[in-house]
Amino acid sequence: MNFQILDWIILLLYLSLSVFFGIRAKRYVENMEGYFVAGRRVKVALGSATLIATEIGVVTFMYFGELGYVTGLSCFVLGLIGFFGYFVIGKTGFVVSGLRRLKVITIPEFYEKRYSKNVRLLGGILLFLGGVLNMGVFLKMDGIFLTETMGFGPEVLSVVMTIMLLIVISYTVLGGMFSVVITDFMQFVVLAFGMLVATLFVLSRVSFIDIGTAVTQQFGESGYNPVVNPRFGWSFLVWMMIGSIAISALNQPAVSKSFASESPEVGRKVFLYTGITLAGRYMIPMFWGVAALAMFGPSLNPTTAMPRLLGAVVPSGFLGLMVAGMLAASMSTYSAYLLAWSSVAARDIISPLSSKELSEKITIRLSRIISTLIGIFILVFGLYYELPATAFQYIAITGAMYAAGAFGCVAFGLYWKRANVVGAYASLVLGAVAPLAFLILAQFQESLPPSARVLVDVNVSGFLSFALATLGMIVGSLASQRSHPPILLLPDSEKGESP
Amino acid sequence: MSGSALFWLIIFAVSALVFFGTASVITVLGIRDLRDLLRKSERKR
Repeated sequence: MNFQILDWIILLLYLSLSVFFGIRAKRYVENMEGYFVAGRRVKVALGSATLIATEIGVVTFMYFGELGYVTGLSCFVLGLIGFFGYFVIGKTGFVVSGLRRLKVITIPEFYEKRYSKNVRLLGGILLFLGGVLNMGVFLKMDGIFLTETMGFGPEVLSVVMTIMLLIVISYTVLGGMFSVVITDFMQFVVLAFGMLVATLFVLSRVSFIDIGTAVTQQFGESGYNPVVNPRFGWSFLVWMMIGSIAISALNQPAVSKSFASESPEVGRKVFLYTGITLAGRYMIPMFWGVAALAMFGPSLNPTTAMPRLLGAVVPSGFLGLMVAGMLAASMSTYSAYLLAWSSVAARDIISPLSSKELSEKITIRLSRIISTLIGIFILVFGLYYELPATAFQYIAITGAMYAAGAFGCVAFGLYWKRANVVGAYASLVLGAVAPLAFLILAQFQESLPPSARVLVDVNVSGFLSFALATLGMIVGSLASQRSHPPILLLPDSEKGESP
Repeated sequence: MSGSALFWLIIFAVSALVFFGTASVITVLGIRDLRDLLRKSERKR
């Protein structure tokens, strides 16, 4: 067993503090805006810390570590692409500033303002399904990580993961976005320190020269060039290029941090400063994965190689600190995702279906119940679902399921006057078709005819989802301008509101 | 070590330094922002 008493003390201390501060935040929730977006009073540095903490979880370490192990240094290109996506959003305020200006709490709220109530309902359902499926794999990855680093068997870890989930649910359900922001900040500090500790210990055992030698021996040119790497290629890179902007700007858990910011300008800057760190936070776990290849060779299970390396090189005491950092990363991700998807379900699915308008109190209560149900779902799903691709590709394809249609509806809705309700329906449905087909057909890929196998190529499917969503919006809108004239949103100045 | 390996490892080193440097700044300024958020929220309450 790698985990010693000192490690346990550090870990328990950290978990206790998280619960204490998370639950204490309940006192600040004065109304619905307070619960879902922390009263829109978050400033740049705090917003950046909480967004970074949301976007880093054990699952991201796991899938980036796995990618590093199976693709060498060529996967570092994803760090540059992701940096580019966030930088574009951060510099231009693309989508996020427009949505923040409209003072929405969830993305589907925009659909009702710009298109119709039913588009909001459909968009809410797709966003919720894609988001929860996306989240479904998190717990499984966390379990594998802890098994390898702490040195326990999987049977003990399912208990540990359940306890962790219960802790997150308890404070998220009670304190909403206030709890998320406060605990995210603590978790950001702990996880950044944990990443530094882990990287220094890895570098003390594996040199850059060892890594260069291992990558050349194992992969040749494809270890450096993503275009010739069989797991990537042009279709993947183009999909990631579009997806990095679309998914970043339209990922409800991430964009809700912009909604919580004190102004559209602050919301834009939060994305800019988060983007500056993005290349590093992608490449650091990828580097650990490549280091695992250099240290252990290519014969390990790619998913377990990186955590096994950390378990081997990080000594007791520091291991507790690093695991606390990794758990911090996961807890901040879970809390933000639970709050985001439960708010979508309560406000954009149940509320439009309800015959009378739901009060703020009932909406918050509903959101709390749904958070708990999502927690139970991801526990069961994580234990039994078998991934059809690498974890990174699974996350990307389920992300595309909602982000592709949302990209069509929101980007065109904000920046194209002709976007209308027909285009919105077409965009949402077509954007979800290719990822859904992939997720279903991948379960039966052995029995598929050769001509249909293209649908189970994760890169083709992801690229298609964005192409079809865009096409659906343009063709649908242009073909129905007379029958369904677009609803234009008035600028705030014309409505007599301050920005 | 090949030129390609050197290229990616330099990119990694720069990105990691930028990450840890920005994280340090965000930590310091974030404490100020967090105090401000809680003070305002307390007043509002």
